Amino acid sequence: MTGIRSNEPDAIGRLRVMMLIRAFETALAMRRDHGFQLLSTGQEAVAAGLCAALRDDDQMLTGGRSIGLALARGIDPRRLMAELLGKVDGPNRGKGGRGHLADPGAGFFGAHAVVGGNISIAAGVALAKKLDRDGGIVAVVFGDGACGAGSLHETLNIAAIWKLPLLFVCDNNQLSVSTPRAEVLAPKKLSDLGAAFGLSAQTVDGTDVETVAQAAMALLEGVRRGDGPAFLECISHRFAAHSTTARELRDAAELARIRGTCPIVREATRLRAAGVIDADLHDALEQDALADVSAAFAFADASPYPDAGEVLADVG
Amino acid sequence: MFYREAFARALREEMTRSPRLIVIGQDVGAFGGSYREFDGLYRQFGPERVRDTPVAEGATIGIGIGAAAAGYRTLVSITYMDFMMLGLDALVNYGAKLRYKTAGALTSPVVVKTTAGALGQGVAHSQCLESWLMSVPGLTVVAPSTPADAYGFLKAALRADGPVVYIDHKRLFPIPGDVPLEESLLPFGQALVRRAGTDVTIATHSYMVRVALDAADQLEGIGISCEVIDLRCLAPLDMATVADSVARTGALLTLEEGQTTCGVGAEVTARVYERIGAHRWARVGALRAPVSSNPVLEAACLPNAENVSEAVSRLLRK
Repeated sequence: MTGIRSNEPDAIGRLRVMMLIRAFETALAMRRDHGFQLLSTGQEAVAAGLCAALRDDDQMLTGGRSIGLALARGIDPRRLMAELLGKVDGPNRGKGGRGHLADPGAGFFGAHAVVGGNISIAAGVALAKKLDRDGGIVAVVFGDGACGAGSLHETLNIAAIWKLPLLFVCDNNQLSVSTPRAEVLAPKKLSDLGAAFGLSAQTVDGTDVETVAQAAMALLEGVRRGDGPAFLECISHRFAAHSTTARELRDAAELARIRGTCPIVREATRLRAAGVIDADLHDALEQDALADVSAAFAFADASPYPDAGEVLADVG
Repeated sequence: MFYREAFARALREEMTRSPRLIVIGQDVGAFGGSYREFDGLYRQFGPERVRDTPVAEGATIGIGIGAAAAGYRTLVSITYMDFMMLGLDALVNYGAKLRYKTAGALTSPVVVKTTAGALGQGVAHSQCLESWLMSVPGLTVVAPSTPADAYGFLKAALRADGPVVYIDHKRLFPIPGDVPLEESLLPFGQALVRRAGTDVTIATHSYMVRVALDAADQLEGIGISCEVIDLRCLAPLDMATVADSVARTGALLTLEEGQTTCGVGAEVTARVYERIGAHRWARVGALRAPVSSNPVLEAACLPNAENVSEAVSRLLRK
């Protein structure tokens, strides 16, 4: 690999983040009371790589598939779990819940579970940052499903014209619920959508956390400099069905092939081979992640549901 | 002062007061707005705060809401209410719910200003869709009918915490009227009795207030006394003023330029019933047809003073 090379302690941190996301989502999916969740298992490298390129004064907005991104952004797993389970100690008192978490003070302006619905909102946040001249940028993450939506195309145009400090990140897991990306989206590469509006645009392997981190950092250099928005497409694979309640239509052979692209195994193998981590450290990192998840459940389970009387609070 | 001037004055005062108030929309810049309601603002405040957008209502409303959620105040201009549909996702699914879903951590002080009503521009430039928006929790909906209300409600909207939909009417822009010399704001949710009367209550809003007042003049000639209530704000609705009036007059006629099905009048009538029980009532609105640019068909589709007068007469004969 060439280009900006993040240092190895950061690489361990990214591995640790990916392990946390995997452990968190796996455990959440096994809870009977989780309701309906959108998991990112298999896509952890996009979250960990992108967030490695973000600073505290940046903001991130996402679509509904947001758990991994929120964890990578540094949202407290305990509070996140409380929010996802509808408990009052979540950042939004459990009222946002799955697909709608927001913790703007932590640089996570929010998830919004209308496909493509957060893209123009993110451009508005980026406009505010531009007017504030505070040096921060906005990253908006969406899937390949959003690439057919008018909101993306409209927003790309305005963001380009206004030179907004906005990084468009397409986490292309190649499936829109059940529909393969190739069947419904014409562009050869989805980053071509950004290129058409004059954005710096790149398509990378979204299963390699280092590649994602380096590409995001490189594109953000220009965004931070005031060159205007950029577009990063990360090709990833979703290991699980669209949601925890959706049918899985892929056959066993295909799923086995997809699960062979695990970004965590890939990065751990690389770090082991490079001598950065050994088996003991690897196991310790995994145990750490599991301990975080246990603590998150304990915290969320101890937190109450909101009182039914809150139903009319904060409406308007 | 003309209605459009009252609008521009309110916006100018608020932009002067708050450097974090910005305007975005089609043709709001040097052109000054399709009805000249943004006259002079671009020259005074410059391109950073008065921003022309491409034809992209969906993204424009979303950007307005996002910037507002991130610490600015935005006025988003959507030239015609028919085009609001293109931006309803951002407004209804995001803006109206933001305070709720973040438990108050984020709000979106945005005003979506648009122009409703018919003036010869055809089936997709004439609609009055305000009743659609009344049912959305979290949205404030105002529809002024005079220059003074245009001024006072716009100022209030630009200081509100959440999304406000501010609805003009094409036929109101050139209408003159007195506007307070002193800066002043009007509170949401207060209807106004435009004309006191004893036989029937006409509850209406926007341009139809003028039609109702014309009908009231005609009816006075045949001995029928109409009380005309300008709802002014559709969400929240001031039902106390309407119900008190109906309790006195004993009859309610609702009048709107939009459709009566699931319309403003249907809601007002139902709420009057909930408050004070059954009274004589009738609804008047557009016929169930698109509003054509054809002058004969446009006029045939919409309420006017004559058919409001007839409806009142029929109602009182019941």
